[in-house]
Amino acid sequence: MKVFLQLMWFFKEEKWRYLGGIIMLGFVSLGLLVPPKVVGLIVDHIERGTITKGILWEYGGLLICIAIGIYILRYIWRILIFGAAVKLAMLLRNRLYEHFTKKSQAFYHKRRVGDLMAHSTNDLQAIQQTAGDGVLTLVDSLMMGGFTLIAMATTISWKLTLVSLLPLPIMAWATNKYGTMLHKRFHSAQEAFSTLNDKVQESISGTRVIKAFGQETDDIKSFENLSKDAVKKNMAVARIDSLFDPTISLIIGFSFFLAVSYGSILVTRNELTIGELVSFTSYLGLLIWPMLAFGWLFNIVERGRASYDRVESLLAVKEEIEDLGMIESSPHGDISYELKEFSYVDSTPVLKDIHFTLKRGQTLGIVGKTGSGKTSLCKLLLREYHLNHGAIFIDGHDIRDYKLQALRGAIGYVPQDHFLFSATIAENIAFSKVDAPFTEVKGAAELASIHKDISQFKYGYETVVGERGVTLSGGQKQRISIARALIKNPEILILDDSLSAVDAKTEESILQHLKVKRQNQTTIITAHRLSSIAHCDLIIVLENGTISQRGTHHSLVNEEGWYKETYERQALETLISEGGVMK
Amino acid sequence: MSAPEEQSQDELQQMKQWTVFKRLMSYTAPHKKRLTLAFFLLLIATAAELTGPILVKTFIDDYVTPRNFEQTALLILASSYIGLILISAAVNYIQFVLFQSVALDIIQTLRIQVFSKVHSLGLKFFDRTPVGSLVSRITNDTEAVKDLYVSVLSTFVQNIVFLFGIFGFMFYLNVKLALFCLGILPFIAGIMWMYRKYSSRSFYEMREKLSQLNAKLNESLQGMSIVQLFNQERRLRKEFAVINNEHNDAQIRNIKYNGLLLRPAVDLVYMLALLMILSFFGIKSFNSPVEIGVIYAFINYLDRFFEPVNMMMMRLSIFQQAIVSAGRVFTVMDEKEFAPIKEGNQEPAIQNGKIEFRNVTFSYDGEQEVLKNISFTALPGQTVALVGHTGSGKSSIINLLMRFYDVKKGQILIDDVPLTHFENKELREKVGLVLQDPFLFVGDIKQNIRMYNSEISDEDVLAAAQFVQASTFIEKLPDGFQTEIGERGATFSSGQRQLISFARTMAFSPKILILDEATANIDTETEEEIQLALQKMRSGRTTIAIAHRLSTIQDAELILVLHKGEIVERGTHQELLRERGLYHKMFLLQHGKDSMEEVG
Repeated sequence: MKVFLQLMWFFKEEKWRYLGGIIMLGFVSLGLLVPPKVVGLIVDHIERGTITKGILWEYGGLLICIAIGIYILRYIWRILIFGAAVKLAMLLRNRLYEHFTKKSQAFYHKRRVGDLMAHSTNDLQAIQQTAGDGVLTLVDSLMMGGFTLIAMATTISWKLTLVSLLPLPIMAWATNKYGTMLHKRFHSAQEAFSTLNDKVQESISGTRVIKAFGQETDDIKSFENLSKDAVKKNMAVARIDSLFDPTISLIIGFSFFLAVSYGSILVTRNELTIGELVSFTSYLGLLIWPMLAFGWLFNIVERGRASYDRVESLLAVKEEIEDLGMIESSPHGDISYELKEFSYVDSTPVLKDIHFTLKRGQTLGIVGKTGSGKTSLCKLLLREYHLNHGAIFIDGHDIRDYKLQALRGAIGYVPQDHFLFSATIAENIAFSKVDAPFTEVKGAAELASIHKDISQFKYGYETVVGERGVTLSGGQKQRISIARALIKNPEILILDDSLSAVDAKTEESILQHLKVKRQNQTTIITAHRLSSIAHCDLIIVLENGTISQRGTHHSLVNEEGWYKETYERQALETLISEGGVMK
Repeated sequence: MSAPEEQSQDELQQMKQWTVFKRLMSYTAPHKKRLTLAFFLLLIATAAELTGPILVKTFIDDYVTPRNFEQTALLILASSYIGLILISAAVNYIQFVLFQSVALDIIQTLRIQVFSKVHSLGLKFFDRTPVGSLVSRITNDTEAVKDLYVSVLSTFVQNIVFLFGIFGFMFYLNVKLALFCLGILPFIAGIMWMYRKYSSRSFYEMREKLSQLNAKLNESLQGMSIVQLFNQERRLRKEFAVINNEHNDAQIRNIKYNGLLLRPAVDLVYMLALLMILSFFGIKSFNSPVEIGVIYAFINYLDRFFEPVNMMMMRLSIFQQAIVSAGRVFTVMDEKEFAPIKEGNQEPAIQNGKIEFRNVTFSYDGEQEVLKNISFTALPGQTVALVGHTGSGKSSIINLLMRFYDVKKGQILIDDVPLTHFENKELREKVGLVLQDPFLFVGDIKQNIRMYNSEISDEDVLAAAQFVQASTFIEKLPDGFQTEIGERGATFSSGQRQLISFARTMAFSPKILILDEATANIDTETEEEIQLALQKMRSGRTTIAIAHRLSTIQDAELILVLHKGEIVERGTHQELLRERGLYHKMFLLQHGKDSMEEVG
């Protein structure tokens, strides 16, 4: 029940809805006590022969009023209480989303998207259920049960109430017991299902091997066994699950039996009228739900609490990149790296002793093997990670002195993994400039040499891409993400291995465009293919996180080392991929 | 979309749903006996349960009202009441379990059918179907169908029988009033119809919004770096809030419909029915005496009437979901992209292992040819090596030789018999494939070497492992051959995984060996052992090998150099080097100029 305390802030915020809902629930519970009473009274009238049309009209009118009243109240409390619960989920979902947008990449390194999704879906759902069904069940079962008991004991007979309630605790005990058993069996059924799921996953991923060894029939047999096991476990669940209804009817049956037998004795003793006995049995029926509700309530609350704790702890994760800079204008000017050491979460350093200066308007090329630290070098400039030892300066100011938004506003970044959103091409290009006129979008596309490709699509710039859109080639995606960065006309452009999937000719034309367009702006290019960076003013070669060579293309090809070797190897590779014919 | 179009689509949808439903029902046929028994028990239990109020009625009218307490009669009455509730509880339990067991058996059948079906499909199908969605079809969707059988259909049958039973007893008690009570049914039907019409639509809309919401969230999480680097956090937060709001509204709408149409509405009908019964007896009592017991029984029946109705209403949405899932399962079952199968009636055997490609041209999609006019022969025991850069068609040659795809143009022969004439079993046993990515299954090492083949004894497993020298490292493991392979073999190095997969191939002692050499991801410590093992495996077997490192195939009898699906050069290592063509350049690339000079 602790979760209700944890959620108190929300209940307070929505106190009118909850109070209103609870009061209405109370009235509904009271209203539900009327029909059985009316039945009893009419039965007594009939038995005594005192019934008149007037009485019938009176009671009939009362019943109709009660029925309509209950209908309306039920409709409203649902909107109040369930509506509040839905609002809570919405609130938390927005809060989580905002939180996610503020988290640095280190946060995402440590967590899988799937887990974050699970928190935002399953956990929120459980919390919503607690704030809705949970509150309802608690309040309703207490009121319904309490009112009914009071009505039975005070308006009919406390003796009869005591006697007929005797079997009910057994029901609460039994259903509780079944609940625990069911929980265990259900758990193992779930496990069987997930084993089955793993099996299928494996079989499908390993189809090639299974086919190569001709093991299809045997694999089916092994699936069959697992599936049988799942059926067995589910059957175990069914055997307990099927106990609930018969047990409940049995106990209720006994309770009715006691009520009717002892009730008749009271009737013969004239302590009770026959109509009261009839009312009494109807009241007994009203007690079933509150009896069962508690078991259910515990389930909801338990799940809700675990979920709320998870969401809370997620929301409590502190900011790693502090945005304390005072300079609000976007930086421009010389960039200089004074880096002693940098490492991600685990302690092995990714970059060491990186020192260089890049004049405004120059182009920097960074090359090196996969994992040599090229991307990390770029990302540090974007302050995606926290830098402990050393600093990076733009125009003489530490980048931490700029406001994050100002810093990032100056940089156009094209990542390695060309990620596009599920939106139109135009929207993807104008990602940072939502209301850019079409000419600007087109201009950026032309610079990135993608305009021609786009015009060939059926819907042109309105073509939807991303996960649920058309499939683009890697090269097309890369060029769209280049256009996305270029539309900002950024002071600093970073192409992080983002020409890898375009062919040599296109690469050349893009580089040519950049050269013309970005005269006084700084560009940083990382690449595997040396042709992408051959024109750069400064080239640095990274090896295991340190600068092993630096210079221009011309100086580097004339120097023994990684650069020269790679240059020669790539020339040969180009030759082979073209079929070995010299052009 | 215009309204009539939407309408017709709705109808189409319903027609399709009906077909799916009928097809699902056909699965009950083999379980007729058990279902009949369950149904029979259901009738008994219902009758027993509903006889109770009649006994109370008799008790009230014949004994309490006239104050007539005849002991033996009362004893009989009491014990039959208790007997009945005991019987109905017991029989009900049995029929519940029976219905569930039938439902689970049907799901078992369905699952095995769809799984077997998937195994009968060709790689072409797997190429275009994402693994995740296929897994989902076999597990999650069948699980949803399970809910249909377990919690929808059985509940419907049970509750409908119960409702019929109630009316039966009402008619027994008072025909006229029972007829009046039949008047409830149109109201209930009307509510159900409205619920299906409005609420299921709003329910669907809510699901739709939820999936949009989750898609947006998922995408944002994946592209968060881009969002942040382009300073778009605020905009996306706003966009998310908009969808979140829409989802909220859809949920509220759903709550409203449920509030208007579910339990509150059903309860309203209940109250009206109650009023009707009371008035009936009230009016009747003006002229003639009324038996109180009958009133009691009627009201009791009425109380019981509405619980099943509520239950069925609540299950309607599950029904909809399950039908959609079932439709998806059936789509897979109706898939026609079968794996290539044997042709002709002979049962040829692979004796020598001669392989011949005759003018083979091949395309995956029917448009772009990935192999053009490939011809070559590998004599028994020879090694033919395939080299070429990515996309040159090496893997396609292997795919065809493994009969993963149908050859439409040209012919492949093994021992001068067309590949299509071999029995699958023969082919799979005699042609051993070693894949680039050694795929290991859950289980221990022994199981991974033997696969499911029970003909391979423990000794054979050991021998195979020794042959490829995998036993050296396996025996050092604390559990030896019983070592469990967790997480696709992540605990082993790639070289070790490779050796295990070698042993797997050798355990089947194939006549022909197909090697898809790992590119470069083998750690150096096992490199030597792997090369040694490969040498041993190849000796005495016809081998087709894809080689990335040219050093490993220098002794091949024939090297085919592929470029864009064509064989551009062929010959032995020395011949090709002398030709100074593509192969020569590849060799240069891998070994540098120094070694070139050595070769001369």
